[in-house]
Amino acid sequence: MKDLQLTFHLNGREVSVQIPPHLQLVDLIRDVLNLKGTKIGCREGECGVCTVLVNGVPVNSCIFPAMKAAGQSVTTIEGVSAGDGPLDPIQQAFIEEGAIQCGFCTPAMALTAKALLDENPDPDESQIRQSLSGVLCRCTGYSKIVRAVQKASLSRRSSG
Amino acid sequence: MERKEEKREKVLVREPITFPQIASLEAISDLSVVGRPVSRTDARLKASGKLAFGGDYPQEGFLHGKILRSPYPHALIKSIRIDKARELPGVIAVLTAGDVPGRNGFGVVIPDQPVICGDKVRFVGDAVALVAAETEAIAQKALSLIEVDYDPLPGVFDPREALKPGASPIHEKGNLLASHKLVKGDVEKGFSEADVILERTYKVPFVEHGYLEPDMTMAIPHADGSVLIQGPMQAPFTLRRNVAAVLGMPINSVRARSVSMGGGFGGKEDSPIDIGCRAAVLAVHTKRPVCLSLEREEVTLQTAKRHPHIMEVKVGAKKDGRIVAFQGTIYNEKGAYASLGPLVNIHSAIMMPGPYEIPHCRVNAYLGYTNHPFGGAMRGFGAPQVCFAHESMMDELALELKMNPLEIRRINAFRLGSKTATGQILKESMGLREAIEACAAAFDWDRRYREAGYGDPERSRRRGVGMALGFYRTSIGTGFDGCGANVYVHEDGSVLLYTGITELGQGSFTVLPQICAEELGVEVEDIRLVAPDTDLVPESGPTVGSRSTTLMGNAILLAARQVKESLLETASEMLFIPVERLEAKKRRLYDRENPGRFVSFKDAAARCMGMGRRLIGQGWWAPPPLGVNSETLQGDPYFVYAYSAQMAEVIVDMQTGEVEVTEHVAAFDIGKAINPQAVEGQIEGGVAMGLGYALMEEVVLKDGYIQNLNFQDFLIPTVLDVPKVKPIILEMKTQYGPYGAKGMGEMPNIPAAPAIINAIAHACGGRVRTLPASPERVYWAMKERAERQRAK
Repeated sequence: MKDLQLTFHLNGREVSVQIPPHLQLVDLIRDVLNLKGTKIGCREGECGVCTVLVNGVPVNSCIFPAMKAAGQSVTTIEGVSAGDGPLDPIQQAFIEEGAIQCGFCTPAMALTAKALLDENPDPDESQIRQSLSGVLCRCTGYSKIVRAVQKASLSRRSSG
Repeated sequence: MERKEEKREKVLVREPITFPQIASLEAISDLSVVGRPVSRTDARLKASGKLAFGGDYPQEGFLHGKILRSPYPHALIKSIRIDKARELPGVIAVLTAGDVPGRNGFGVVIPDQPVICGDKVRFVGDAVALVAAETEAIAQKALSLIEVDYDPLPGVFDPREALKPGASPIHEKGNLLASHKLVKGDVEKGFSEADVILERTYKVPFVEHGYLEPDMTMAIPHADGSVLIQGPMQAPFTLRRNVAAVLGMPINSVRARSVSMGGGFGGKEDSPIDIGCRAAVLAVHTKRPVCLSLEREEVTLQTAKRHPHIMEVKVGAKKDGRIVAFQGTIYNEKGAYASLGPLVNIHSAIMMPGPYEIPHCRVNAYLGYTNHPFGGAMRGFGAPQVCFAHESMMDELALELKMNPLEIRRINAFRLGSKTATGQILKESMGLREAIEACAAAFDWDRRYREAGYGDPERSRRRGVGMALGFYRTSIGTGFDGCGANVYVHEDGSVLLYTGITELGQGSFTVLPQICAEELGVEVEDIRLVAPDTDLVPESGPTVGSRSTTLMGNAILLAARQVKESLLETASEMLFIPVERLEAKKRRLYDRENPGRFVSFKDAAARCMGMGRRLIGQGWWAPPPLGVNSETLQGDPYFVYAYSAQMAEVIVDMQTGEVEVTEHVAAFDIGKAINPQAVEGQIEGGVAMGLGYALMEEVVLKDGYIQNLNFQDFLIPTVLDVPKVKPIILEMKTQYGPYGAKGMGEMPNIPAAPAIINAIAHACGGRVRTLPASPERVYWAMKERAERQRAK
């Protein structure tokens, strides 16, 4: 099959690439665009570590055809903050609360939390847990992740 | 090799443990770095997605390796034809058994697993050919062009069947890989003194580690003939030893570099050896770098799991609750290959009677090969299995004696001076009773035990509470426990720390620099930890056995002290103050009696460098090897233990058998908590993993085939399954650990499952004796109880 032209917004910049039509979004991000913060754990949309935001909504990029992103706005962890400058309050809260262990789910967790807080700046614990339930973490037992999202919610509201 | 192994076991009888204490516990009250919740040194990189995991390293110019696996659980290989695959454009190599240059076998304990099977396959994940191609897709296509003729053999799928005469032999020496016997006192005499005797059988299945990062490795051949293996790995030195033998090279020609892992939990002790050996053979053969990455389904097919155990327990007690005899039989399912099985078997046998002082104990543990995937190390190394048995039995005994589960544990639990099932006297650092009481107080056990539970027939959702105790070793105990560390101070005061302890998420890359910084008197930011690389760091053993903080911590202290000697001597000359009066803290060397008189760490280091004084230290620390009699397992197997008491509350749906865990309190004596935040993280994560073991995790096997290869069917807990966990940290320091620290990475995982299972029984009356407690099992357990009640 012939490659197709894909144009979309990635982390606020317009990107135009020629890709095979069957390529999944995660492979476009990791292999073609060389952004390695998005991870692959299962390739069947179960573990959630490949989560990116499409128009602010979390999706499993391992089962999301890249061509579906045409004209859309995609955010990866590098678009939240790649760590060169100041971190986002969500990333900061993950660090301070000890919500990071192996770190393999962290980009997905942070992006999912961002989608939640952008939509609902003051979620209660059950809303936080509902929203994070699509991303698995095998290390932390989730307690500190939930607390980090609560902390980020507070610090975003007090600074905003 | 196997013969040598047996020999080693015979000479294990040794004198009681004597070795120097590492820290003066009185002198450690005034700490500036240790004991603080320092943020992870790698947290910023991880939060921003910048930390490179194994699969994030560039792969330009690499060949891609793939493994052709057996479609049969047990079969002879009659013939194999590879011509068509070899002719496919883009295929660089197709290798079969004859192409392995050295020993065609690997394994942590016994190298019984073929790199490429030649004559026989023993489970569905076995490798029969390896392919290297320019792309993964071509390699995958090449696999389908390899033609193998098999002659299927009868499969063995039960460890008890495996040991019966006439069972199809899986390995040449038969199906019994190891058996261990623990004998303390006279168990028959014990039972004759008992007022009550109970006999029960408990079963636990294979489970997956469930690390989210799938395994991958890179093998890079160098012009001088050496080979670099890079990827996620918990045991770079064990890997190096195996790859060298498989390539027929000396050990110094293999370099293993461990990159930060996306979880390991014991699984990445041996899976990297498996793919590392295979990628290395392809790389050496093609003289090109090879990347071998497993998809999730391949991880499940091919890599080690937690060993299933069938556990028969007989316990005898007096009316007042004192346990007088414990007898256990473990049928430990090995699966197809040895991996760490023989060591798990010893540990299961040693741990089976639990943290209780019982005068008469006997345990027989049999490790039998089957045609299933193989067991390996997984967080707890046999202890979670036997803890489920002994803690379930404690509650069944309490029920029989009409006692409170807390009371029966108070009566029997270890105390200072207790004699364990191996006859070891617990002389120090014993906080089990403190953990029990702290847990009971925080959980409000007495009230909740009274108010919850089976009783009100009207309620369709019933609350119950359960508890469990556990203990766990620090160190491997059976050898290979040596830890080396290098500390290198530079003239500007910056420090390099070299260790071979790997980072799998547990936090060693933060805790070890904390220990180094405290001892030198600098800040954590002054230390840069050199990532584990066998060409750079001293031998450290594997990152397993809850050993890193304590054993490597001691090695770091010894290394830092060598450098500190130079610094103190120099500071003494600069300040005209005797060395004995000097203290090192917060980047200063100062006069204890007059802290205003000081030199900076940096100035002292610069002067040391100028004067040619030693600024590089090398520390080495190892506990003594397993000190038990090989016939009875009596002796001192480990030098210190951590202890835990856990309590859980559940709600059981009486119609469906569904279980919700609503609260979990977990108390620990772990000696000094070097980083309390990291310790809490281990507790919360370990409990969550235990919850999965209790309620949902199982590798489902049918006729040798795994039915649930991916997370869609192999369930692990989500954020909706895990309740708030309350961690309680108690610090009964050990004189043999740095600042009194003991190991704790595995401990939280151990009593979590039985605490939940006991809570289920309390809530609904049904006793689940086979994990996981799926709604179906809970339902049938309730049914069975109701029928028993009716019969009465």
